[in-house]
Amino acid sequence: MSMVKAEKTAARSAPLIESSFIGWLHKNLFSSWINAILTLVSLYIIYVVVKSLWIWGVADAVWVAENRRECFDISKDGACWAGVILWLDNIFYGRYPRGELWRVNLGGLLLILWMAPLWLPRVKDKIFIGLSTIFLYPFLAGYLFAGGDKGIFMQLMITGGIVCLMGNTLHSLIGVFSGGGLPEFLLGLLGKKDASDGNQRNTLLAILAVTFVAVYALQMSWTVEVVPWTKWGGMFLTLVISGIGITTALPGGIILALGRRSKLPVIRVLSTSFIELFRSVPLITVLFMATTMFPLFMPEGFVLNKLVQVIIAVCLFSACYMAETVRAGLQAIPRGQYEGAHSIGLGYWGMMGLVVMPQALKHMIPNIVGSFIGLLKDTTLVSIIGLFDILGMLRSISQDVPWRGLHKEPLIFGAMLFFIICFIMSKYSRHLEVKLSAGANR
Amino acid sequence: MAIHDSGKLSARVKPKESFDFFHDERVRSVFYQILTACVVGWLAWYLITNTAHNLEVRGMNTGFGFLSATAGFDTDFKLIEYKPGVGTYGRIFLIGCINTLLVSFLAIIASTILGFFVGILRLSSNWLVARLALAYVEIIRNTPLLLQIIFWYVGVFAILPRVKNSIDLSVGAEVVFLNNRGLYTAWPIPGDLFWMTIAAFVIAVIGVVILKRWAHRRQDSTGQQFPTFSASLALLIVLPGAVYLVTGSPLDWDLPTLQGFNFSGGASLPPAFLALLIALTIYHGAHLAESVRAGILSVNKGQTEAALAIGLRPARAMSLIIIPQAMRAIVPPMISLWMNVVKNSSLAIAIGYSDVVALFMQTALNQAGYAVEMVGMTMAFYMFISLSISGLLNIYNKRVQLVER
Repeated sequence: MSMVKAEKTAARSAPLIESSFIGWLHKNLFSSWINAILTLVSLYIIYVVVKSLWIWGVADAVWVAENRRECFDISKDGACWAGVILWLDNIFYGRYPRGELWRVNLGGLLLILWMAPLWLPRVKDKIFIGLSTIFLYPFLAGYLFAGGDKGIFMQLMITGGIVCLMGNTLHSLIGVFSGGGLPEFLLGLLGKKDASDGNQRNTLLAILAVTFVAVYALQMSWTVEVVPWTKWGGMFLTLVISGIGITTALPGGIILALGRRSKLPVIRVLSTSFIELFRSVPLITVLFMATTMFPLFMPEGFVLNKLVQVIIAVCLFSACYMAETVRAGLQAIPRGQYEGAHSIGLGYWGMMGLVVMPQALKHMIPNIVGSFIGLLKDTTLVSIIGLFDILGMLRSISQDVPWRGLHKEPLIFGAMLFFIICFIMSKYSRHLEVKLSAGANR
Repeated sequence: MAIHDSGKLSARVKPKESFDFFHDERVRSVFYQILTACVVGWLAWYLITNTAHNLEVRGMNTGFGFLSATAGFDTDFKLIEYKPGVGTYGRIFLIGCINTLLVSFLAIIASTILGFFVGILRLSSNWLVARLALAYVEIIRNTPLLLQIIFWYVGVFAILPRVKNSIDLSVGAEVVFLNNRGLYTAWPIPGDLFWMTIAAFVIAVIGVVILKRWAHRRQDSTGQQFPTFSASLALLIVLPGAVYLVTGSPLDWDLPTLQGFNFSGGASLPPAFLALLIALTIYHGAHLAESVRAGILSVNKGQTEAALAIGLRPARAMSLIIIPQAMRAIVPPMISLWMNVVKNSSLAIAIGYSDVVALFMQTALNQAGYAVEMVGMTMAFYMFISLSISGLLNIYNKRVQLVER
C-alpha cells in the first residue's frame, strides 16, 4: 500500500502537434501531400482574386468624377465608383422627391422603434406588440410614404397607430427598467392599485380614450403632400414589396396549410391545387399574369395600378411558399399534442390556435427568415416588368447619359448590399435555430 | 367552433342524446364544404364573366386559332426550322419550350456536378479548401440570381472581343471561338455509314450492362472482384471506335470560319445563352452544395469509422459507403432544385435569351395579344414539367423506401 502516490502527477503539456500554430498548420493544411497541393492552389487562387479585386476596386478605383469619360481619364483599369456614389440616393430611394426623403427614413425608424421591444428580454406582451406591427404599422407607414388626403378610415387607423406606438414604447421602457408594464404603472400613478378590477379597467379605458381623442385632434391638421407610386423606387420599393409580401404570406400561408391538412375533402383539394399551381410556375409568369390578366379580371372601369398588381402577385406567390413552410412545421408537431388538446376538450380552432400553432410557429421562425431572404432576392424580378426597384435603378445608371455603359460597378455594389443584408439575416436565422433547438433537446 | 366539438364529446358521454342538427359534426363539415365551394365558385364565375366582358369590350380575340396563324417576328436562337412570316405561333411556342428545356437540361447537369464537387470540398479536412468552398456558397446564395445573370451578361459576355479578335478556346486549333456574339464551335455532320457506329455504341452499352450483372453475380458467389469500370470503359471506346474506323470514318466536321463580319458554319450559341447557363449553374451549384453537405453529415459517423476500420481508403469509403447512404437525404432536395432550375431559367427574359416566357409570353403576346391563352399555355408548360419532375421524385422515394428496413 505504500506504493500509492500521495501527490497528483503534474499534467504533461499537450504535444506540440496539438497545441502550436505549426501543429495546427500541419493538421489542417498539410496533412498529406494532396492536401499540401490543395492548400497551395487555394492560396494562389485567393492571392490572384484578392489582388485583382483590390487593384480594380480600391487601389486604382476612381471615387470622384463627373462622368464616365473623366473616370477613364483618371484611371483606365480601375472601377468607377463615382457613378455609383452620385446615384446613391436613387439606388436607395428611387425618384422619391428629394425634399421628402425624411418620410421614408422616418417610416423605417418607426418600424425599428416598433419592433425593437420584441428583442428586449424583460418586455411583456410581445404578442400584442408583434400583432400591432402587422395590423397598425402598415397604415401609418403607408400614409407617410404615399401622403395626400386622409379619409376618415385612414385618420382612425393613423391615430390608432400613433397611440399604439406610444403605448408600446412606454410599455417597453417601463418593462426594461422596472420589469412591470404600462397598465400597472399608470394605475400606480393614479393610486388605484388596490381598486376593484372593473374600476381599474374603466380607468385604463378612459386614459386610452382620452389619448386617442387627443391624438386624433392633433393629427387632423397634419398632412403630407402626395408622392405617386411611380416615384417610389430603389431599395425602398424592394423593401416595401417584400415586406408586404412576407407579412401577408404568414397568415395566408397558415390558412392554406391548414386547408391542405384539413379533413374536409373540398377544402383540402382547393388548397392543395392553389398551392401547387403557384409553386410549379416561375414568379415571373405570375408577375406577367398580374400585369396582363388582372386588368381583365376587374369590373369595367376599375383600374389597379401596376404596383398594386405586383404586390398582389407577390403576396399570392409567397403565401403558397409559406404554406409549405407552415405545413412542414405542423408535421413536426407530435401527434400527442393534437390528441392532448382534443382530450382536454378543445375544438379545432382552440387546438390549433392555443396548442399546435404556437409550438409550430416557434420552430418555423428560422424558415420564415429564410423565406424572407428568398423573397427579398426574388423581388428584384419586378424590374423586368418595369418597376424601378433596386435592380431597376442599378440598371438605369448605365442608361444615364454621363454614365452610359457603366454596368459592372452598380451591379457589384448591389450584390454587396444584398449580400450584407441577406448574410446577416441568414446568420441570425441559424443562430435562432440553434437557440430554439437547444430548448427543445434539453 | 369549440361548441361543435363539445357537442361531439357530450354525444360520446350520453350516446342516447337526440340528433342535434346544428351541432352535428357531419352536418357541419358538409355545410362548410358547400360554403367554401360556393364562395370559390362565385369568385371564379365573377372573374370569368368580368374577363369575358372586358375581352368583348376591348375587341380582343379569343380561342386557340392563333396557334396556326403565321408569326411575323424572328428569333435569334432556334433548334428547329422556323422562318418569320411562314412559321406559326404554335411553332414559336415549341421553339420557346425547346429553348427552355435545353438551357435547363444543361444547367441541371452542370450544377449537379458542381454541387457535389463543392459539397464534398465543404467537408474537406483541409481548412483552407473548406473555407474557400464556404465563401463561394455564401456569396452566391446571398445575392439575387437575376443580378448574377445580368452581371454575367453585361459584365462578362458583352465585353468579350469583337468577331475579328475572337478568342480561340481550342488553343490554335481554330475549332472553338468565343467573341461578343457568342460561342462558335465545330459541328459533326454524320455520313452514310455513321449509323453503324451508333449501333455499335448501343451494343457496347448493352454489353456493359450484361458485364456488370455477371461481375456482380461472380463477386457474390466467389468473392472475386472484376475490374468492371476499366473493362466497361474499354468496351465503350474500342467497339464503336473500331466500327467507326472500319466503315471509313463517316463523320465530317463543319468548321466555323470567319467570313466578312461573322462566322459561318459550325454551331453557335448566343452570349445570352452562355450567360444564363453559367449563372444558373453557379447559383444552383451553391445551393446543391449545401444539400450535399447536409446529406453527408446526416450519415452516422460510425459508418465512416467502420469503413475506415475495414481498410477502405477515405476516397473509397466516401464513394462506396457514405455517398450511397447520403443519397437518400440528398435526392429529394436535389430534385426540387432541378425544378427550380427549370423555373429560374425563365429569368432569361432579362437578358434576351428566347425561352418560352420571353418568346411566347412577351414577344408573341405583344404581337398577337391572346393574353389569357398565352399566359395559360406558358403556365401549363411549367406545371407539366414540375409535375413530371415531382413524379420522378415519388418513384425514387418509393424505391428508396423499399431498400430501407
